[in-house]
Amino acid sequence: MTLSGCQHLQKIKTEKGLDSYKILHACFISCKTADARRRKARHSVCHTCRVYELRLHACMSCVYFGCHQEEHIQSHARANEHWIAVDMSYGMVRCFACDDYVYDKDIDKIAKTLNYRSSIPAALNQFAVWQPNHKEVELLRKNCKRRRVEDSSTIGLRGLINLGNTCFMNTIVQALIHTPVLREYFLADRHVCQLLKEENEQCLVCELSSIFQEFYSGISSTYIPYRLLHLVWTSARHLAGYEQQDAHEFLIAALDLLHRHCIAGPNDRSGSSPHNCQCIIDQIFTGGLQSDVTCQMCNNVSTTIDPIWDISLDLGTRLYNGSNTTNISGYSNSPSNYDPTSLIDCLKRFTKPEHLGSLAKIKCSSCGCYQESTKQLTMKKLPIVACFHLKRFEHSTGYHKKISTYVSFPEELDMTPFMSSSKIQNGDINGCTKGLSCKNKYSLFAVVNHSGTIECGHYTCYIRQHKNQWFKCDDHLITRALPQEVLNSEGYLLFYHKQILEYE
Amino acid sequence: MISLNSNILMNNCLCMSFFSLHDRKVKDAQMRATINSKLVETGERERLKELLRTRLVECGWRDQLKQHCKEVVRQKGLEHITVDDLVAEITPKGRALVPDMVKKELLQRIRTFLAQQS
Repeated sequence: MTLSGCQHLQKIKTEKGLDSYKILHACFISCKTADARRRKARHSVCHTCRVYELRLHACMSCVYFGCHQEEHIQSHARANEHWIAVDMSYGMVRCFACDDYVYDKDIDKIAKTLNYRSSIPAALNQFAVWQPNHKEVELLRKNCKRRRVEDSSTIGLRGLINLGNTCFMNTIVQALIHTPVLREYFLADRHVCQLLKEENEQCLVCELSSIFQEFYSGISSTYIPYRLLHLVWTSARHLAGYEQQDAHEFLIAALDLLHRHCIAGPNDRSGSSPHNCQCIIDQIFTGGLQSDVTCQMCNNVSTTIDPIWDISLDLGTRLYNGSNTTNISGYSNSPSNYDPTSLIDCLKRFTKPEHLGSLAKIKCSSCGCYQESTKQLTMKKLPIVACFHLKRFEHSTGYHKKISTYVSFPEELDMTPFMSSSKIQNGDINGCTKGLSCKNKYSLFAVVNHSGTIECGHYTCYIRQHKNQWFKCDDHLITRALPQEVLNSEGYLLFYHKQILEYE
Repeated sequence: MISLNSNILMNNCLCMSFFSLHDRKVKDAQMRATINSKLVETGERERLKELLRTRLVECGWRDQLKQHCKEVVRQKGLEHITVDDLVAEITPKGRALVPDMVKKELLQRIRTFLAQQS
């Protein structure tokens, strides 16, 4: 499509120039001043029928405004052979001889400048198509090498050096680097640092952003995350030191830090509501956990919804050495104290109604008596990325043990049975599970494993690079892995992402 | 006597209601024009347009309608399609697809604005 309009427009251009367009646009389309707006308000009516209509056109050859619907501008054009008119909502140029809208480079430039100028005082966020400026065109020309991402490309995979028991950090970094929506956020350069220049080095989000750049740069050598480690040490003191830390604790601390640095600088201790904001971390990781407490006397249900970043699942009460079967009961209700052997089992347990026992009587708000009650947890809102934490580490007084029982987890997970909307509440079956709705379906993309004992262990992770390609990340060693190998691994932290993202 | 009077009364009522309907339409159009010029004068119209744009992109309306446009162009043929065709096709569909939440929000904004003006 040539951007030189049509012959009729060219005729006007050569004969009279584009001043009339400029004036029309500045006065009636992209008004900059209050005066212009007042004028626009008063005069934007059809000269023939005196009505304000949505598709008003202004003749470029004389002073006439006509509406399109009632054909007034068309008849004016034909009667006076004034073929060119301007649409007064957007500044598009219509040629009635060619019976079409025509586009001209010079007109586009004028419109763009005037629109931009008028949007500044009105503080409007103009949606404009991106056009590269001179500098950008030069950059693109100089760096003309394009990287093609195919099924076999290993872009995004780099090993991480272990800086002294930092495998707990390395695995979480690997998982975050391969988190789909987060990756898009950082590669699109969406982080605008809120800090002043002097404090710039302390922003964890900036550091993560540069790590993304490093990983997706195509370089395949091992990366040394010393800056990240230093930032973590200075920001989360309880994780500092060379001892082995818990990967789950690190994940939560990291998410919290990132969340805080997203909305304000690291020194802002205003403590804004931690899970109520719109930062990228909350948008991706925050889900809502609904807790229903039902009074046994009057069946009144009191509901609270807590924001959560991960779901911690109990693994039952058997000890590490399978031979010892003394049950230190955490649950007093389960008649058959089975131990979960799959993620689904764990989730079923998690969302099962639990009788709170006579020692935990709560005063019911509706009937006002101290009664026993049942509590049930369900998922109210699912996050885009769901992280399941299998509680393998027992920390009781004077006794630390790791539960190494195998818990199977699926590659595709449907969370529908565990949603609040699917649960039987107050006897009514609320919203039967819509089998065709796939908005609760998740896909596994990262697994963090702990091997060894609680005193001496090592973290590794599996991450999904492409649809069916998994890689094992053992600090600086990246090796290909089969999906079955991933599903057979022990599993400590399981990362799933939603299969379908919906509009809200 | 009484029945005659009531007939005349009824007739009068009917005539009056006919006129007031017409009046109301005219008054509506006038009111629309006044509100619109107020919105333009204060620059509120541009701000509302931006808000509406954002909401419609967020809820997927823009993508839905874009899809529909593509289908219309495909049906009519790229060579024969005109802007007027497209406008006639997509205006009713576009109007129908706007979610109620968005309508409510915009209406609320306009009401608040008008309340501030008077």
